[in-house]
Amino acid sequence: MEKPLLQVKNIWKAYDELQVLKGVSFDVEEGEVKVIFGPSGSGKSTLLRCINMLTPPDKGTVILQGTNLMDSDTNLNMIRSKIGMVFQHFNLFLHLKAIDNVSLGPRRVLGLSKDEATERALDALIQVKMEKWADHYPAQLSGGQQQRVGIARALVMNPVLILFDEPTSALDPELIGEVLQVMLDIAKSGTTMVVVTHEMGFARAVATEMIFIDEGVIVEKGTPRHFAISPETERAKQFLHRLEVLYGHHEELLEPEDKEEGNS
Amino acid sequence: MIQVLPRWLEDLLTVLSYSDELIAGLSTTLSLYFTALIMGFFLGLGFAIGRQYGGIITSRISTAYIELIRGTPLLVQLFLFYFFPYSLSATLELLGLLPLPLDWSIQIIGPGGQVITILNHRILTCYLMLGLNSTAYQAEYLRGAIASVSAEQLLAAQSLGLSRAGGIRSIVLPQSLRRVIPSWSNEAAYLPKYTVVAYFIGVEDLFAAAHFIVARTFLTLTTYLLVALIYLVLVTVISRILDYVHDRTKIPGL
Amino acid sequence: MLQAPDLPSIFFYIIFHGLPITLILTAHGLIWGFLIGLLLALMRVYGTREIEWVAIAYEKVFRGIPLLVLIFLFAFGVPGLFWFIDPLYRTLAAVILSLALRSGAYQSQILRGAILSVNPGQQLAARALGMSRLQAFRYVVMPQALRMALPSWSNEYAVVIKDTTFASAVGIIEMLRVTFRVVANNPEMLFPPLVILAIIYLIFTYPITRFFGERQTQKLKDLGLGG
Repeated sequence: MEKPLLQVKNIWKAYDELQVLKGVSFDVEEGEVKVIFGPSGSGKSTLLRCINMLTPPDKGTVILQGTNLMDSDTNLNMIRSKIGMVFQHFNLFLHLKAIDNVSLGPRRVLGLSKDEATERALDALIQVKMEKWADHYPAQLSGGQQQRVGIARALVMNPVLILFDEPTSALDPELIGEVLQVMLDIAKSGTTMVVVTHEMGFARAVATEMIFIDEGVIVEKGTPRHFAISPETERAKQFLHRLEVLYGHHEELLEPEDKEEGNS
Repeated sequence: MIQVLPRWLEDLLTVLSYSDELIAGLSTTLSLYFTALIMGFFLGLGFAIGRQYGGIITSRISTAYIELIRGTPLLVQLFLFYFFPYSLSATLELLGLLPLPLDWSIQIIGPGGQVITILNHRILTCYLMLGLNSTAYQAEYLRGAIASVSAEQLLAAQSLGLSRAGGIRSIVLPQSLRRVIPSWSNEAAYLPKYTVVAYFIGVEDLFAAAHFIVARTFLTLTTYLLVALIYLVLVTVISRILDYVHDRTKIPGL
Repeated sequence: MLQAPDLPSIFFYIIFHGLPITLILTAHGLIWGFLIGLLLALMRVYGTREIEWVAIAYEKVFRGIPLLVLIFLFAFGVPGLFWFIDPLYRTLAAVILSLALRSGAYQSQILRGAILSVNPGQQLAARALGMSRLQAFRYVVMPQALRMALPSWSNEYAVVIKDTTFASAVGIIEMLRVTFRVVANNPEMLFPPLVILAIIYLIFTYPITRFFGERQTQKLKDLGLGG
């Protein structure tokens, strides 16, 4: 077997006194869909941001296609252009229309001409079924629509890997479906994805492996089937049970937002 | 037959007969205003970015500058800035060195053969000090607008592979420069009024022209009212223009 | 003053001879300005269209004219304006009038913003308790609005105390004028007295704007007011 696309080795990260990640390691093979889940404040979002170095880890290594991102001479901007990221709160550029939000990366980072970039952006918007809204500004779109533009913004760069940071947890329940559908489509097309989410339905449908994180460490790993039938650890059992109880509800209604958000 | 005019109209015509002085004063006031506003904008943007995104030293220096300027009266700053070269020159002389040349001036001959002073130590002092003062106020407004653009958007730009500077330039600044317009309008409307400090060090601005006319005609009320009206029109026009710009640059839906 | 005074004695000389008038001008400007501003704010928030228009016109006029022009206008432009005041104090009154009229135009904006930021639901709740409109304003809206105005007010205070320096132009012996007296008595010391004056001003502005700007804003947030 050839080397994994992404290797995350022994990542540590603290915010001031608070130790958020305590030695997290995992590999992601090409074409894999990795789902990371766990209680709020367990360090999931921080972990994602450590992968593309938006939050550099204190210790550990991240290796993407053989390049160690912790090396000081690695061109991080170039690396980030190959790792897509979709945010919990979308983070669209408010002064740009949907189409320009998506074409900004190709133009400014990949150096495409305006026409080429717009053409590619339109393709990406079609993939997320947002082409009709291309000329709208973010503030004129619903949350689900904004998130789909956010996904298109990541897709358009042809990334080798896309990171999803709780992409549906800031959405009203009736808007979650349209975003999950788009994510399913992308997963089925063979895109490598690392997804932080509590949407177990999505996980069961496409996840190759699920990782349960609590208090900054990986507590348990396994297939969706494994977690559905026989989770080994007590903590995973409890957490899944709580999700089960809340199934059909929206767990974020009871769980406050991740604590690490405030520090990032 | 001489038509007898009402007293106030007669006074107004007398004052208006000094239109040369008024126009010369107004043009000095306007050039002080625009120079200071533009200089303050670019330096202010530098300080705002330094305070928001700079390292601890850059950010401390920017903060100290802004607070020093905002905490002291413009008149005191102006006099300090005006006297400093004289003080320095005196010290140099005491040390046996050559004093600074401070009585220079750049003059042109006007169309009517009169000598017009374009620049001298006093006028230069006014340009620089008004600009440096406005810098601090504009920096605060700009920083507020920059801070109002969520840090997450900058992260999103970086996640696409844009550098930090690139993200600031193409994501943060376009939004903050739009958002700053309403508060920035305050400074743009404050500044024309504060150009009157030029009068204190003998620069012939609009207010100095009023003084000159009063000394000749003793028509205090008419002169000061007329000058007040000119400033009022100036400030109103500037505010209107900025309101219009603000309207045209609004981001739809926000 | 004796020859070559040391820096601390210049400091105290300026404070002793200049500060009283500077503070009197500031206090009068702010207090009369507050009354004018409150009236204007009420006219704008609760008045009919015509009344609101008058208040807006007032604000535009007094925000558009330089303070120095106002001072000269009232000190020299309208003889007999202060016929009821001892001639000795007429210039002082002209400066106070100018400061107050202008500050009123700015304080009106501050107070109007603060009044509007109080949730109208609270006024309804007060009316539901049986309070009159006036009572609801006096006991529910006003106490919150005044607190919310504090940060902007501290800025207005700083503007007024700094602008009292313009009074020196019409011969009022405030701190800047006193500083020039020091310079005139000690021509070899052109620079230090002005630096000391700048420091005095910093002492009288920075702690106050900082306290109200930051701590007060935090307090308001804790109360769930403002934002």
